[in-house]
Amino acid sequence: MLFNSLTFVVFYVVVTTLYWSFRGWELRKNLLVVASYIFYGAWNPPFAALLFSTTAMDFWLGRQIAKAQNQSGKKRWLVASVCMNLSMLGFFKYGNFLLQNFQWLVARVGIIYQPPHLDILLPVGISFYTFHSLSYTLDIYRGVLQPTRSLRDFILAVSFFPQLVAGPIVRAGDFLPQLAHPPRLKANQFLWGLALMTLGLFEKIVLADTLLSGPADRIFDYPGPLVALDSWAGVLAFAGQIFFDFAGYSITAIGAALTLGFHLKDNFRFPYAAIGFSDFWRRWHISLSTFLRDYLYIPLGGNQVRPFRMALNLVIVMFLGGLWHGAAWTFVVWGLLHGSYLVIERVFRIFFENKTWAGHPLTRVVAGFGTYGAVCIAWVFFRASDFTIASRMLTGMFGGHPTGDMILTTRELLQIGIVTTGVIAMHWTMRAESFETTVMRLPAWAITAIGSFMTFAIIFTQGTSNAFIYFQF
Amino acid sequence: MRSSISSFKKRLRLPRLFFRRPSKEEQTHGGPPLEFERPIPPAPWRGIAVIVTIIVISATSAWELHSRALGYGPTLNDNEDLWTLARGRVEPESIVIIGDSRAWFDCDLDEFEKGLGKRPVQLAIAGSTAMPALADLANDKSFHGTVICSFVPMLFFAPPGSPPMERAEKTVKRFHNQTPAQRVSEYLAMPLEERVAFLKPDDLSLEALLNQLPIPNRSGALVPPRFPPYFDVVDHERRARMWEKCAEPGSKLAKEVQQIWLPLFTPPPPPTYIPQDIFMAKMKEGIQKRFADTAAAIEKIRDRGGKIVFVRFPHSGGLKELEDKIMPRQQSWDPLLQMTHAPGIYYSDFPELSGFNCPEWSHLTAGDSVEFSKRLVPHLREALKM
Repeated sequence: MLFNSLTFVVFYVVVTTLYWSFRGWELRKNLLVVASYIFYGAWNPPFAALLFSTTAMDFWLGRQIAKAQNQSGKKRWLVASVCMNLSMLGFFKYGNFLLQNFQWLVARVGIIYQPPHLDILLPVGISFYTFHSLSYTLDIYRGVLQPTRSLRDFILAVSFFPQLVAGPIVRAGDFLPQLAHPPRLKANQFLWGLALMTLGLFEKIVLADTLLSGPADRIFDYPGPLVALDSWAGVLAFAGQIFFDFAGYSITAIGAALTLGFHLKDNFRFPYAAIGFSDFWRRWHISLSTFLRDYLYIPLGGNQVRPFRMALNLVIVMFLGGLWHGAAWTFVVWGLLHGSYLVIERVFRIFFENKTWAGHPLTRVVAGFGTYGAVCIAWVFFRASDFTIASRMLTGMFGGHPTGDMILTTRELLQIGIVTTGVIAMHWTMRAESFETTVMRLPAWAITAIGSFMTFAIIFTQGTSNAFIYFQF
Repeated sequence: MRSSISSFKKRLRLPRLFFRRPSKEEQTHGGPPLEFERPIPPAPWRGIAVIVTIIVISATSAWELHSRALGYGPTLNDNEDLWTLARGRVEPESIVIIGDSRAWFDCDLDEFEKGLGKRPVQLAIAGSTAMPALADLANDKSFHGTVICSFVPMLFFAPPGSPPMERAEKTVKRFHNQTPAQRVSEYLAMPLEERVAFLKPDDLSLEALLNQLPIPNRSGALVPPRFPPYFDVVDHERRARMWEKCAEPGSKLAKEVQQIWLPLFTPPPPPTYIPQDIFMAKMKEGIQKRFADTAAAIEKIRDRGGKIVFVRFPHSGGLKELEDKIMPRQQSWDPLLQMTHAPGIYYSDFPELSGFNCPEWSHLTAGDSVEFSKRLVPHLREALKM
């Protein structure tokens, strides 16, 4: 079920009304479990069974980890959980990719192997709920979480419908404590949740789908060479589209959870005002970057190792981060590019961090725009479906096709320019504070005007229920 | 009177709305404090919610009234989900209409039911090629009914990746991949579309309105041609009827649509990144392949006892001249019938089918479509040996 669909509107109204009408906390939690499975099953009912089976297995494995008498016993159960989750992800998401690469590899030594094409349908949001579930066993192993005694509570932690299919990646350790006591219905919290949902849907329906997705798709799908202006416009449009699409989903999820009395952490914090790449990853898809940091980068040694090993750790983490997004080498290159950016940034810091000019506002602005430009170049690999397209786009962007085609209308170029300028200006204005602080400073009439504009714009735009980009991951 | 206003104010807490701050109790969670709680900006949210609701309802009502004043009325949107509902009604022996918007506007289901004994299922898709729907019926092993296929050369031979092909493929794909949520959304949308005039994504959405802004394009820019504005109403069976404003001969809307058809039906210039001779060879190869694929699909339907008839529906004026020039009958219609061994009805071969006027050059008015269908039925019966 998509947030930007009529089905969701009706579903949400019914679930929220029933939820706050029920008195018993256990009854409310049962309602949320049923609702979450309906929400997920509305795409493909059999996949709800898959979701349940991985959840139930991790529940049981979590208990085994906690019960194990010694560290090696705990490790064995943890390995079982990691293998179970990653093999599930591997089969559904990477099955065909692995077979194709195996075919290519054996062909290098002269073996002709024709693998069967596995007709596998990717369960929506499998990368997200696998990480929701995996965080539970990992945290029990790390000793930061006690296993829950209630299978129902764990099922709800993994499948809670606002964050189920496209994040934020909510760790069981952050969610389970919220199931211990019933939240109270607080009007202001509920209405603020609705305001966040409105903002999220506005970002998705109006900005991502209506103003940016069309030009981005046309540019990346165009089979011929393009002039620099159109190439850059396509990349900037995609940079805006993916931000508004994913941040829109996250903020709608956070708002929907809040209306039900649950608190989810931020997933974005004005990323296009980042100064440097480590700053970017503290602002972009925060739930994934912190997941990778805590469960991969730090166990690998983090930055408590020699510089070369630290650089290697960064590249490994970003390589896997890239692969998490999709089963294609273009995603791997995207991840490796970000890994390289992080390594280069560390090297720069060693040499220049203490220089007086490094802290100058102008340097920071230049570094900020440099970060944005480099992030946009990496987006080319993220969006392009193969390296031919990526290479054609990059050649176009750097003036390699002076006689290439122009395919965007002036209106589309203006749209991209206005939205890109707007998003960068907003991010730079708010980069040092939280969204809530900004809202707090606004007078009531301004909040009313913005809320009215966004709500009417959503109705006026008549969205076409386009799926969110991150659903495919 | 005074007391009732006071009571109303009291109930809504209007005087306090804009000054209210959340109580301490409201700022804490139901249980012990959580490790993380989202901050709630202290603003008078209830008042804001009430005023936003009033403004949005007023703005939406005003937009609805404005849309109606422009002449728009409520009608279903013909989208993939409405097509999917219609496709779901196809039974093994159904009569199915496929193809482009001419079959969609010009076929009256009541007249066909009277004359052919069965109510056809309308599966024609505006601005699309018939091939994906034909292939879908051919691959449906249970189907052994009758296919009435409209033929407009520029659309029928649309190459893979072109908008007419992608539109049809996307629609057919929806039938096979529609999720329960998409189906429910369509059932929820239909009553709204039947009551609200501004729900017209092709004409009255933000994107459509932005598209209409008179901003000149760069010279040499390869921008796609415009699509015509709204000129039809659609019912639950996907029966399209021309809007009265367009049906008036010589009306402003009819003239506007006429001028949109010409660039839309003119083949785009060959791409700059493929040598012209290679491109032309590819196009010819593509047309031959389309003939072969059509013949193969028809063969599959025939093997199961099904039938097909091609129909060239009326068109006129500058559009007819353009179509005849770009793809003359001898290079399109004749080889199609020859290669598929299928019967065909070319409207201009029969005086009783020829005298109809298409106000915007491409489609019949709702009234004429009834008469045309009545006259077409005997030809269909003969072609299909019914």
